Amino acid sequence: MRPFGLLRIERDPEQSWARTIFVSVLAITAAFLVAGVIFWGYGVSPLRAYRVIIQDTLGDPRAVPEILLPAMPLLLAGVGLVLAFRAQFYNIGAEGQLLAGTVAATWVALFTPTPGPLMLPVMFLTGFFAGALWGLLPSLLKLRLNVNEVITTLMMNYIALSLVSWLVTGPWKGPSVRGFAYTDTFPDPAWLPALAGTRVHWPTLLLGIVLAALAAFLLNRTRLGFEIRVQGQNPDAARYAGVNPLRTTLLVMLLSGGLAGLAGVGEVAGIHHKLLDPNQVSLGYGYVAIIVAWLARGNPLAVIVTATFFGLIYSSGDVMQVSLQMPFRVTDVFNGLILFFLIGSERLLQYRVRWVPWKS
Amino acid sequence: MEILTWILGTLVRGLAFGTPLLWGSLGEIYAERAGVVNLGVEGMMILGAFSGFAVAQVTGNPVIGLLAAAVVGALAALLHALVSVTLRANQYVSGLALSMFGLGLSGLLGRRWEGIPLDHPLPEVTVLAPLGISLAVALWIVLYHTRWGIVLRTTGESPAAADAMGINVTLVRYLAVVFGGLLAGIAGGFLSVAYRPSWTEGMTAGIGWIVVALAIFAGWDPLKAIWTSLLFGVLFHLSFRLQTWIPPEPLQIMPFAFTIVVLTVGARRGGRVRQAAPEALGLPYVRGER
Amino acid sequence: MRWIKLFVIVTAMLLVATTGWAQQSKLKIGFIYVGPIGDFGWTNAHDVGRKQLEKAFPGQLETFYVESVPEGNVEPFIDKMVRGGAKVVFTTSFGFMDGTIAAAKRYPDVIFAHASGFKRASNSATYMADFYQIYYLNGLMAGALSKTNRIAYVGAFPIPEVKRHLDAFALGARAVNPKLTIHVRWLFSWFDPAKAKEATEALLAEGADTYAFTEDSPTVIQVAAKKNRLSFSHYSPMQRFAPKHVISGQLVHWERIYIDFVGKVLKGTYTTQNLQNVDYWWLLAEKAVELGGQPGQAINPLFTGRLKAAKVKTSEFGTISVYDLVNRRLAQMSKNPVAFDPFTGPIRDRKGVLRVPAGKTMTVQELTTMEWAAPGIVGQWPGEPK
Repeated sequence: MRPFGLLRIERDPEQSWARTIFVSVLAITAAFLVAGVIFWGYGVSPLRAYRVIIQDTLGDPRAVPEILLPAMPLLLAGVGLVLAFRAQFYNIGAEGQLLAGTVAATWVALFTPTPGPLMLPVMFLTGFFAGALWGLLPSLLKLRLNVNEVITTLMMNYIALSLVSWLVTGPWKGPSVRGFAYTDTFPDPAWLPALAGTRVHWPTLLLGIVLAALAAFLLNRTRLGFEIRVQGQNPDAARYAGVNPLRTTLLVMLLSGGLAGLAGVGEVAGIHHKLLDPNQVSLGYGYVAIIVAWLARGNPLAVIVTATFFGLIYSSGDVMQVSLQMPFRVTDVFNGLILFFLIGSERLLQYRVRWVPWKS
Repeated sequence: MEILTWILGTLVRGLAFGTPLLWGSLGEIYAERAGVVNLGVEGMMILGAFSGFAVAQVTGNPVIGLLAAAVVGALAALLHALVSVTLRANQYVSGLALSMFGLGLSGLLGRRWEGIPLDHPLPEVTVLAPLGISLAVALWIVLYHTRWGIVLRTTGESPAAADAMGINVTLVRYLAVVFGGLLAGIAGGFLSVAYRPSWTEGMTAGIGWIVVALAIFAGWDPLKAIWTSLLFGVLFHLSFRLQTWIPPEPLQIMPFAFTIVVLTVGARRGGRVRQAAPEALGLPYVRGER
Repeated sequence: MRWIKLFVIVTAMLLVATTGWAQQSKLKIGFIYVGPIGDFGWTNAHDVGRKQLEKAFPGQLETFYVESVPEGNVEPFIDKMVRGGAKVVFTTSFGFMDGTIAAAKRYPDVIFAHASGFKRASNSATYMADFYQIYYLNGLMAGALSKTNRIAYVGAFPIPEVKRHLDAFALGARAVNPKLTIHVRWLFSWFDPAKAKEATEALLAEGADTYAFTEDSPTVIQVAAKKNRLSFSHYSPMQRFAPKHVISGQLVHWERIYIDFVGKVLKGTYTTQNLQNVDYWWLLAEKAVELGGQPGQAINPLFTGRLKAAKVKTSEFGTISVYDLVNRRLAQMSKNPVAFDPFTGPIRDRKGVLRVPAGKTMTVQELTTMEWAAPGIVGQWPGEPK
């Protein structure tokens, strides 16, 4: 007789990637099931809804590039946030840093005599510095005066929002837009090239992947990466190990802000080709990037996966609106549910299910 | 004389817009005092706004509407408590999820209630404003001069110590978060039952985020929340009152710039603000760790 | 060989199937909205138009929509709609202009129409229903009913469209009462009830007693009514929010344009080749807009008496009551071509610069780009020409 098995749940301090993925998939499935109730309440058969969503996002090759559009800014900002979170710096200000990047890029594109071939590199460079600069004040306040960074970075978001709004309704309002609140369209050299037939501005995508790899290298293979990790895990031990918390945190914060700034450059140079109302520039990418970074669990390369996943969520939301004619708020319900299940399942990660042979 | 009416009028407006800020931030202060950040205020408020309006319209009684808003806000907060206290998930992410979920759900459910004026609204400044101020005083007394206050503060400062003292950390955190949601729900209900009074999806328009800032701006002190809410209310009103002479953007960023400045100045002056922050804010408590 | 045979059979079946469907299928029309359809303004009005359009051509067409589309996202949504079979797509916000033109290039066999913009293509038209005449009529009434000689306007954004309406409102009011001042506040938002409320409170504190506005909620009306102040409904029928305080207002009938346009598409008058110069600029004469706070009622009867009692001297009609003046002007502007236009010179702006010379009327191009402020307007005016 073959031995029977029993399931036993036990605590396991080691977290494996396989289990993380397994539990995450389980959580997302559960969220979909609960969302089914909402579809049903709206008079849409849940099965049909799932089918349509899969068909019109992953099932249609023409729709796949649309997953990448939101994924690009999420990737860039998300990689930066992973670095900050690893050093225990809670940067909630990616949205503002992203907007700072759009302002810098717009300034270069419209108001400087930068020669054509240099235009895009200069835009990305100034965008990086603008984003870093926007994150500088909160990090200095944190380091010098121990002011809570969650709140200062959040406040800086609103200030950036007002700044962009003031620029597009005031000094930067374009003469060619008939008084509407936009800047003029960027000159051609400031447009990022797109993959043929899509709006995927591939240089941003490439930049994101390269920077994710670089960040992983920095974190795992360099002295600075070691310092970041030690400081994040145990600040006291870091001090004994001779880590200069000022230098590490500042550097991490500058990188984090700078990467969000790059995401902003990608949005204006690749999608909008002008500066416009701040709520239209970024669709909350700076905030969603927090979730993207958190889901990547401190691994910059994993951000590629989580950012794409959220690209898929954005895209599914669009499908639900067009193909199922549901109100746009359905996307928020959906996102909220998936998030709750994902973070709720977090604790399951600490346990493993063991097949225990049954001895008689 | 004219200046006096001008100042008085501005203060009344500040009080009106400050009321939802006060109620919301009092709730957030209590939740954070217990060590739980709740970034879901926007979601709890909008759910409160919707249910408050719907119930007030059906029953014809705005007070019952407010009670419903409070219950719904508390239920929403319960979700946050479940995820962040029991399941010990990241509080920031859970709060963001709650904000999204609340905005979405109220938008879906509220469809057929849009576009209806409320038949029996609540007066704007005469009910919830004085009630809120009294509540702030009461909450301050509880926080600093009662045993409950000690329990709450200890839970937020050092859950391990609280645990050693025989305090049920989980229970205290649940109660504080749910109480916070209750007040956020009332704050939302105020918007749809007294301030507006009607329902439109997304009508909180970011007030919930200002509340989160206010809790910190007030240094987690219920008494200070009174004047900080009033200040934010006055600044918001002034950005329109003074628009003829001053462009609106500088006035609009003032609350946010102010918060940064106050935190900075507070930190310079012997770190009072820093000390006020609950030590274990944002950290889940696991017995045996730390 | 077998594979090839199979391939041919399947392809043939598919062809038959698709053409068979195409013959049966109705004309599919997509609408892309900038706001939620539950608002009280712009998007809601377009959605009402969409439903009326469906009713006007029963069985011949099918419509679908997306709401709250971000400006940078209009192209993916157009892609999805075209993939879903849309043959006509209406994009209903200025910010969708460049995306619509780009999509028109990408889908040469789909017809596009863009509201409020100025760029067209052979398969992309533009359309707009404008209120400036109605704001002028509202202004006439405000001029007669204001007791404090201060009236107010809460504006969304300082853009030509809103400035044009504000100027028309001011010109109307000052035609009745030259001592009036028009006090302005900007929200920098199309929809924000809290801002609308505080802006109204600020204007109440300044003593303004009659309110017009551009914001997608009835907040201004509600706040003004609570202090017993009068107002004009905006965009959708808002009189029910304050039946005793709303004098009149502006109503839109986008369905007039949609029914006309789609009718011509069905008849084959409009094709993907001939829309380069199709631009609807529809006003009172085309019945695309209507005077009133609720359909079918130009002036709230509660105010008829006071408007009849107020007399005004005009060069054209002699001394008549404001009530009669409103009706005469309404009749003049409802003719095609119009017998009266509010922006007929000589008009100077508030700085004294001559903007419309005597005997001239502003062209559509001038109207859609105007930036100046009419005399009597008090308040910040971003982008005011020197």
